[in-house]
Amino acid sequence: MRKLKSTLVSKILCNTRAIFRILIWILVLWIGILVQTEGVEARLYIDITAPSMRRISIAIPDFKYLGNKSERPGLSSKLPGIISNDCDLSGYFRPLDKGSFIEGPNSGITRDSIRFKDWSVIGAELLLKGGYECIGQQLKVVVRLFDVFSGKQLYGKRALGSVDRARYLMHRLGNDIILTLTGHPGPFLTKMAFVGTSTGHKEIYISDYDGHNLKQITRYNTITLSPGWSPLGDRMIYTSFRSSSTVLFMHDVVKGLVNKISDRKGLNIAAAWKPNGKELALTLTISGNPDIFLIDITGKILKRLTKNWGIDVSPTFSPDGKRMAFVSNRSGSPQIYVLDLITNQIERLTFEGNYNTSPAWSKLDRIAFAGSSDGNLDIYTISPDGKDLHRVTQDQGNNEDPCWSPDGRYIAFSSNRTGGNYHIFIANANGQNQRQVTFFGRGDQLSPSWAQHSE
Amino acid sequence: MKRNLIIATLVVFACSSVFLLSSCAKKQVVSEEKEITAPPKVVVKVEEEKPPAVEVAKEVKEEEEKVIKKAEEARVEKLKEVEIAKKKVAEEKVWEDRRGIRFEAEPVYFDFDKSFIRSEYRPVLREKAGFLKDNPNVRARIEGNCDERGTNEYNLALGERRSESAKNFLLSLGISPDRIETISYGEERPLAVGHNEDSWAQNRRDDFVIMKK
Repeated sequence: MRKLKSTLVSKILCNTRAIFRILIWILVLWIGILVQTEGVEARLYIDITAPSMRRISIAIPDFKYLGNKSERPGLSSKLPGIISNDCDLSGYFRPLDKGSFIEGPNSGITRDSIRFKDWSVIGAELLLKGGYECIGQQLKVVVRLFDVFSGKQLYGKRALGSVDRARYLMHRLGNDIILTLTGHPGPFLTKMAFVGTSTGHKEIYISDYDGHNLKQITRYNTITLSPGWSPLGDRMIYTSFRSSSTVLFMHDVVKGLVNKISDRKGLNIAAAWKPNGKELALTLTISGNPDIFLIDITGKILKRLTKNWGIDVSPTFSPDGKRMAFVSNRSGSPQIYVLDLITNQIERLTFEGNYNTSPAWSKLDRIAFAGSSDGNLDIYTISPDGKDLHRVTQDQGNNEDPCWSPDGRYIAFSSNRTGGNYHIFIANANGQNQRQVTFFGRGDQLSPSWAQHSE
Repeated sequence: MKRNLIIATLVVFACSSVFLLSSCAKKQVVSEEKEITAPPKVVVKVEEEKPPAVEVAKEVKEEEEKVIKKAEEARVEKLKEVEIAKKKVAEEKVWEDRRGIRFEAEPVYFDFDKSFIRSEYRPVLREKAGFLKDNPNVRARIEGNCDERGTNEYNLALGERRSESAKNFLLSLGISPDRIETISYGEERPLAVGHNEDSWAQNRRDDFVIMKK
């Protein structure tokens, strides 16, 4: 029944999307030049390649109800709240406090009905106005982004969807706004997986990138570790303890099916996807020593990748799949090495500090890792050639298990900086704008993995 | 078992010797009676001659009693021995149990980020090997653990190496590899939950668990 409903909804959504696409084309044709020229101009607003970014102050007042009689008044602040949180987490904006707004209640959401002086005087550079209407279970939203100084409209869009998917709808609009201002889509339609300990066991949880829509997906009542989304975001691998060993599982999150991939004697841990989504690297001890092997997704060993007396663990692949970074203690302490999978050459990547682990290779070719120099673990990033070491966290407790957003523009990690428990934080790739995204009352949240929504 | 067999044979021997002796005496009496019954008048004589027969019987009885007494003494002796042996076995069992408890209660500790056996833990492992040798039915599991510092994944590998290095030490002392199982819990099962060197030192350890066959 629910499925039927959802397919119906998606059908309606598709249809309405098609209609909207036509409408938007008409809109584009109508104010096409305006949008286009402003689009070009808009790219100047935020240069995301800059080493340091100034956050643009944005005002997002409550959305107006556009229908005749007000329905679901709660959405009036909830909808802009979602987009405001997105703007804040993106690191590109500084949403202004609603308490400072001086605009009267009868102002509209069109350019002509806005007194931009009311916004410039409180320091807003951008103004996001929105309205909504409910038709049964359907939600109609319109948002418009204005440059407060020039009074120009930079972006305008209508969107339609079911009310219970309001978050998704707002994330889509948010992504669009980021695309308009930076030339790259925002990270808001992504999801997170992590290890949570609130039940007293270590289990795997998934949520939206912002910590909402939380679901516990394992109930093994043991220790389950190292979740890793597939490149398409449809499956997940993790290692779970069974009575006498660790076992690598693959969990089809869409279908809810779980397969045992590797339960060889000893360790079956720290698995990582190759970007092609067809192979995995993991650490096994079948040779009597923790070494990294390449296996296919059925668990068959394709190749032994490392052969060394020491510990080799925590592999991560370059975006082209031709190189692999991993942790080894072959020099006496854990350090990060890069293996060229074509020439089989191994080079040491990290030399500073006596404890460097958890490498994660981004789509933009940076390697994040957790390193220790003063007792605490902190997040660093480095270029794969060993140059340009950059410290992401400092003097804020322990910071571990970094991973990248699918586009490589954000880092997630777990930190106990709030005192006591570990929570998941996200930050811009350069380390700016560190924000907590999981707020469980009980237990730790650890080992994040970040992926695109598979839908 | 052997002891029991010896006791049993001794008891059987004693019983049979008593039986043999007593049956011999009876035969003698019967043959005398036969001689006597030939002249019916010598009944009195027979009566007179009875005392010697009784004397013989007395002698036999004395001898018989001696044997019984001896056998009884032997039996009591054996009983004592058995009881002592039993007690000894029980004491040994307590001792073995105590060794078993020690086997499980004494972990081997490690240096930070290291998996070699520190010299002060070699005697501990030798004692464990001794226990395993004296108890061939016992199988053991070595559980490697780490302190909380570092990553789960690296610590799982480090814990595995710690359990393996204790296993290898036991193998070098002649313990068969199929009697020892290893598992790493990495940093997942700390004994002490503090965030300081005292706690960490307690958590960098191999635990030893006896697995009943």
